[in-house]
Amino acid sequence: MTLAIEARQLTLHIPDGRWSVARRYALGPIDLQIPEGAVVGLVGRNGAGKSTLMRCLLGLATPDEGEARLLGEPSLALTDAVRERLGYAAQTPDLFPRLNGREHLDEMAAVYANVDLPSAVTLAARLDLPLGKRADALSLGDQQKLAVVMALAHDPDLLLLDEPVASLDPISRRDFMRALFALRRKAAPRTVLVSSHLLSDLERVVSHVLFLRDGKVQLFIEWDEAMEYLRCVPARLPDPLSLHWSAAQGGRALVDSRHCPEAAGEPGLSMEDLLEVLNT
Amino acid sequence: MSSPQAFFDIQPQLATPIYRQVVEQVQRLVAGGQLGPGDELPSVRAVAERHAINPMTVSKAYSLLEAEGLLERRRGVGMVVAARAQPAAAGSDLLALLEPAIQALARQTRQLGIPPDQAVEALARALQSDEQDRP
Repeated sequence: MTLAIEARQLTLHIPDGRWSVARRYALGPIDLQIPEGAVVGLVGRNGAGKSTLMRCLLGLATPDEGEARLLGEPSLALTDAVRERLGYAAQTPDLFPRLNGREHLDEMAAVYANVDLPSAVTLAARLDLPLGKRADALSLGDQQKLAVVMALAHDPDLLLLDEPVASLDPISRRDFMRALFALRRKAAPRTVLVSSHLLSDLERVVSHVLFLRDGKVQLFIEWDEAMEYLRCVPARLPDPLSLHWSAAQGGRALVDSRHCPEAAGEPGLSMEDLLEVLNT
Repeated sequence: MSSPQAFFDIQPQLATPIYRQVVEQVQRLVAGGQLGPGDELPSVRAVAERHAINPMTVSKAYSLLEAEGLLERRRGVGMVVAARAQPAAAGSDLLALLEPAIQALARQTRQLGIPPDQAVEALARALQSDEQDRP
């Protein structure tokens, strides 16, 4: 199996004097293997390290220990050939204030070989994004849309999106989720890592979900598998065999019903239920 | 299928994985005889686009149904109902497909403390009004 994203012992220290017993590292140590074609929802509370993880994976932040690789190359030494295959939209879009949307796309087309301008313009129209407006006159939602259209314009094989839909209305969010799979001209499916607090949106599109807490991976699992097999059972004390123990609601253990027959009758968990259990 | 748009009823908020919702709906439509051998299914792309879901999820469902022998891949057309796919012969097979929903209904009826005869009446009413809604 080819990996689109790989991390080995990826660690970012917290600056001296600011670390605590509860949290020694801003990130990690993280080991992660994301197969090609996976659509991964990156989920965690504010401050869990979602943006930091994305920046480390992209080589925009330099880890203190360990290594990340994208499409087989070290993140800190990506060749232009791999850069051409990456798309990224930061949480706060990096736009040129004086340029309008169309000019942004023209700039991209000048740098990236694969930009298909007509398709990008069509996508912008579907997202209801005015391309003639200067970036500094766009609402935050429209700035996010422009960042997403730009991240997709060159048909990337690997797409990283940091909170791309936070300011979008529900209709635009639905169109955004369709866009994750749009503008695809190659046969191989695109790999996507997308962080969001809008978990019901993620439930529609993800193949995997990655729960992050205090800079560490708590759980990385196929979403269908999580829905079919992960269950909560009452447990007053932590059980070393459970995936996680939550002290809330009198104590609950998160278990895999394949190894825990008494959990078979328990109801399935939504992504929000899982997030709550994993963070209490 | 004349209207692929209305073909599947997909509800991502349910505790049932989306691929399983698709699998079960196709099983029911074939068992009930509403889909017969040779009938075309909407393309993976059309279903994914319509419901804003991952195309891989739809193709996972179709592949499982193909492995089950219910669907077959036909060149240039896409997925069609397999020639040997038969509607369930006896009513009991059909009822088996309804069993999980019946169990859920029974559980909720007990939880709410509704007398059985009232629940049965309500179900009969729902079935009748559904009949009238049909064109």
